[in-house]
Amino acid sequence: MITLEHVSKHYGETVAVDDLSLEVAQGEVCVLIGPSGCGKTTTLRMINRLIEPTSGRILVDGHDITSVSPEQLRRGLGYAIQSVGLFPHVTVAGNIMTVPRLLGWDRPHMQARVQELLALVGLDPAEYSDKYPRQLSGGEAQRVGVARALAADPPVLLMDEPFGAVDPLTRERLQAEFARIQKELRKSVIFVTHDVDEAIRLADRIALMRDGHLQQYDTPEALLDHPATKFVHDFMGADRALKRLGRVRVSDVMRNEVPTMQDGSGAETMAQRASCAESRFVYIVDAGGRLEGWFDCVAFREGRVARDAITSVDWREAAVRPDTSLKEALSRMLGQGFRSIAVVDGDGRLLGDVALAGIEETMTAGDAYITHAGGEPEVDV
Amino acid sequence: MALVACLALPFAVLRPNRIVAGVSHAVWSAGGFGLLLVAACLAGAVASVATLRRRGSWLLAAASAITVVLAWALGAAASTLLRGAAPFARVSIGGGAWLALAGAAVLWFAGAHGERGRWALGVSSSVATLGLLGAGAFGGLGRLSIAVEYANQGPQFWQLVGTHLAVAGTALGIAMVIGVPFGVVCARAPRVRAVVLAVVGIIQTVPSLALLGLLIVPLAALGLPGIGPLPGIIALTLYALLPIVRDTYVGLAGVDAAIVDAGRGMGMSRSQLLLRVEAPLALPLVIEGIRSAAVLVIGIAAVVAFIGVGTLGQLIFLGIGQTADDLVLLGAVPMVVLAIAADGALRLLSRALVSPGIREAAS
Repeated sequence: MITLEHVSKHYGETVAVDDLSLEVAQGEVCVLIGPSGCGKTTTLRMINRLIEPTSGRILVDGHDITSVSPEQLRRGLGYAIQSVGLFPHVTVAGNIMTVPRLLGWDRPHMQARVQELLALVGLDPAEYSDKYPRQLSGGEAQRVGVARALAADPPVLLMDEPFGAVDPLTRERLQAEFARIQKELRKSVIFVTHDVDEAIRLADRIALMRDGHLQQYDTPEALLDHPATKFVHDFMGADRALKRLGRVRVSDVMRNEVPTMQDGSGAETMAQRASCAESRFVYIVDAGGRLEGWFDCVAFREGRVARDAITSVDWREAAVRPDTSLKEALSRMLGQGFRSIAVVDGDGRLLGDVALAGIEETMTAGDAYITHAGGEPEVDV
Repeated sequence: MALVACLALPFAVLRPNRIVAGVSHAVWSAGGFGLLLVAACLAGAVASVATLRRRGSWLLAAASAITVVLAWALGAAASTLLRGAAPFARVSIGGGAWLALAGAAVLWFAGAHGERGRWALGVSSSVATLGLLGAGAFGGLGRLSIAVEYANQGPQFWQLVGTHLAVAGTALGIAMVIGVPFGVVCARAPRVRAVVLAVVGIIQTVPSLALLGLLIVPLAALGLPGIGPLPGIIALTLYALLPIVRDTYVGLAGVDAAIVDAGRGMGMSRSQLLLRVEAPLALPLVIEGIRSAAVLVIGIAAVVAFIGVGTLGQLIFLGIGQTADDLVLLGAVPMVVLAIAADGALRLLSRALVSPGIREAAS
């Protein structure tokens, strides 16, 4: 879909990008990563001709990008940037309509598209259409930025650290949403970041750059397990096993059948029944299936009264979602001192849980899990 | 304090004729005092309470009340003092009355600042206007010296106002047509910017009379008259350029680079970027530049009366020549009113045109 052939960019004596060749297949996410000044942003900006290469050729969908005017080219490539770059004087709807307007779409078509896109990025169209960017939180603004890039349904998305300016929690949510949207839309994406975890989580392939040179271009697994150079090895970090967990989602290893009880009052009778035989913890849910806490059978057996064996929790804090990465889930488990963690949907309904043992299994038997991006099974861990 | 001042200082001045010094009269000896005194005390009290409670509408009410009552009191004073005086006798507005008016203005602006609702502004300003008109028609305000001067000038006064506006307006229009593009060029080309901003900056430092003098030579070389409306308009245009060029440039330069990058990256051409992104974002500052230029030009338009243009400045020069203070006032007061009106109109325009998405940041 996107092909770079021996592309170089020189600024006088300085070489920003040196003889870079790269191919991104249709529907793949290619993450450009490297230390600052490695040429990743320059590379991205050469694809939509915000920067003209000194030499080499870039093809999008088989056509040389210089065969059309830069404006025409850019209208066909979605573009999202770190500081969002939303137009502050235009409403959310107006921002999203930027490219369709340039392309001369009619109004009903554009409005329908705005509704569709806001829903896609998880914002209520009725609430957000007429807001101005300054009324949005950082995360909301980033979502609108992504919606705007998708507006004219371009086959290619260029994203320059699109989630760079938000807090880690929002970032985690945005990454999960992006993975979901990408699974649905299958765009060809070039994504620049300096965050290794983000790259591992989102990439089909990672292009690791240094001083304008491509160090290695391969799947995240390959970069983690078979680094081509010492630099790649060092850059990916020592905690490679942990990082690989960033590729696996909770839903891939989740235990779906978990013992539950409706409320804590019947704990004693419950505990005497079979539930405690098969599991140490029995989850407590309300009538709607929402997680309220859990009952510790061991503590109960050791002689504590039922009331003291119950832990009440807020599902927003004590549980993870199916699309959370295992790495995140593990870190939450360790942080809270649990050996397992509940999995809930967006409304707090209990879906299952993930146990430390399950994660260990994943780490040792590499081929036993499926990566959400469809990567190849691992054998040599 | 303003209350004390307006009571202690002379309220109105009675003169045998328009030129010689007159006899001062305090507020209680000048008729209508009861009315003013009550109103001023009341307004003062209300205003001070209002400031404590931070209620702008009370300040506005006090301001309009003072204005109206002041007008009627002055009218009454004029009528009383002129009763039985010689036919050429004049009554001028005294320092106390001016201070009271200034106090009302201060209250007014403080109130307008604190008041969010617009209706209070509208109601109080229409009350003040109606009260003033009423005082003019029935309250004897027409007997004041400044009004007599106005009557003497007759239609010529409005002609001067018209010329004043025409000259200032034309110059402002030309300056906008030239200045805004220059501002755009400044934002685009750093080298041009240095030259253009230096030139308009230098023009600004030339005193207005000197500039009029300096224009005579080059105009003569072109075979054009060195006096009259043409050099006047040229001079005013030159003065208006600096604020417009500078603020247009500053407005455009202040647009966030990331926003411009996003627009470019989405396929906007240079003109689309300018018209759809940069211009709307720079608009508050551009209008601000035009606003300062308008106020500046209305002021300097008085000076071009020196080269034979019939602006309000003529009344001022005439009044100074004849030592007729009230004739000077007849020239000066309308100029202040024009400047305030232009200022207000452009502020309203800014409110109407600037996107609500950036309005807060702009004001």
